[in-house]
Amino acid sequence: MRLALLEVADLVVHYGKALALDGVSLSVAAGELVAVLGPNGAGKSTLLKAISRAVPSAGHIVFDGRPLDDMAPHLVVAAGICHCPEGRHLFAELTVRKNLELGAYLRRDKAAIARDLEHVHALFPVLRARGAQQAATLSGGEQQMVAIGRALMGRPKLLLLDEPSVGIAHRLKIAIFAAIRQIREAGTAILLVEQDARSALGVASRAYLLEHGQIVREGLSEAFIRDDRVRRVYLGV
Amino acid sequence: MLNILVYGAVTSAVYAMLAVGFTLIFGVARVLNLAHGAFYGLGAYSCYLLTGRLGWPLLPAALVAVLFVAAFGVAMERFLVRPLRHSALAVLMITIAVGLLFEQAMYLLFGSEARNVPAFSNATWSYAGLDVSGQRLLTLGFGIVIIGLLWLFINRTRLGSAILALSQDREGALYMGIPADRIYAVVMAISAAIAAAAGVLTAPFLTVQPTMDLLPMIKAFSIVIVGGLGSIPGSILAALLLGYSETIVAYAVSPAWTEIVSLVAVLLTLILRPAGLLGKRAAF
Repeated sequence: MRLALLEVADLVVHYGKALALDGVSLSVAAGELVAVLGPNGAGKSTLLKAISRAVPSAGHIVFDGRPLDDMAPHLVVAAGICHCPEGRHLFAELTVRKNLELGAYLRRDKAAIARDLEHVHALFPVLRARGAQQAATLSGGEQQMVAIGRALMGRPKLLLLDEPSVGIAHRLKIAIFAAIRQIREAGTAILLVEQDARSALGVASRAYLLEHGQIVREGLSEAFIRDDRVRRVYLGV
Repeated sequence: MLNILVYGAVTSAVYAMLAVGFTLIFGVARVLNLAHGAFYGLGAYSCYLLTGRLGWPLLPAALVAVLFVAAFGVAMERFLVRPLRHSALAVLMITIAVGLLFEQAMYLLFGSEARNVPAFSNATWSYAGLDVSGQRLLTLGFGIVIIGLLWLFINRTRLGSAILALSQDREGALYMGIPADRIYAVVMAISAAIAAAAGVLTAPFLTVQPTMDLLPMIKAFSIVIVGGLGSIPGSILAALLLGYSETIVAYAVSPAWTEIVSLVAVLLTLILRPAGLLGKRAAF
């Protein structure tokens, strides 16, 4: 195995008295696309929030050789982790263009930012046409494209993608997963949280199964697709 | 008629200067800052201290007064509001405490009598039977310039984008790497500085005394309720509405009736349109 870009060990998160993550360990190598599957409420979004330092946690998170445990959230972004959250959290009253520009908030390299904006527009051509429109006026699928594009504008080494296909028309979902594949092929590592196991396993090289805050299975995507229990519960076959 | 037009504009400008900062810190940091009137008062008193007691010329005194109040706002946010941010009620209480502290401190330091702050302009403009002091016109001009600059800052700068982002989606802003605490400090500085500027500008023609923070506080509060808490365009619209309504009432009925105008406007707004004229949702 390659040297891990992200190494999470024994991660524990409490929400008050409720235990959301109970000793989760996982790793993502540079350029790798890893999926985290699991039912609603298993702790998938909490895992990504803990990595972003948006929720406090115990255990260890090491990214690119540096511990993130005591890092402020904005420094995590500066270190190269960009989070495209569940529910998108767009700036609803700002234009699509401004949303994308805010993704590059911590960057000063104007020329490279302009190039990355071109990349995002190439990835999601509809966003170029919608540039001057308020984010709130877009369809759900288009908003998801803005959210992913905005996260890419931070030029991440690791992209955290939380449920990119929730509540989106089938046609746009296909476009979004095609884009996810392209992002990985361009060399960005992705940690993908997804309820749609079939789509996720289609793009991921490895996967983890998270249930009740614990990793109950891990392995290559092909092994997951052949696994009886995963097939029955998560693939519905 | 011309009287109403000019005096209404001056009043509206002062109200807008008070309200934009109040609504800004609420919209961005969700802080209902009831010490906002104290910023206004502190601006006036700082200017009085520097000019009246220390003999400074007015212009540097005014600038230092505004900067001092901005620093005071930042310190208040850092040391009193931030540790209590988990509880909106605790934040509300601490800002009330700061407001009361201002009144007591001014009373102990400078006594209860009204103080004088020099005017930038002692000229009087006469036109078509209207007499208006240069200081009032200057206040109107400054108010327009300050609000224009604020608009440019928010819509045209990187820091302004961060302020907008934070006011619209805090979690989204967090994932962009926007450092919320630093932005709150910037917004508090701006909010306090604009209120202090209003205090410095109006001090020559209004009364500088320890309880001077109360009325501006009520006005700022009324305006943002009528305009919609958190909405800057809403607060400017409501400032014009209230500024002119009060001026019209003062001329048409009696100056004694002006203070009731904003209270009636607040009541009507809360009953008919709780979110305010341009607000997205009811804040309470």
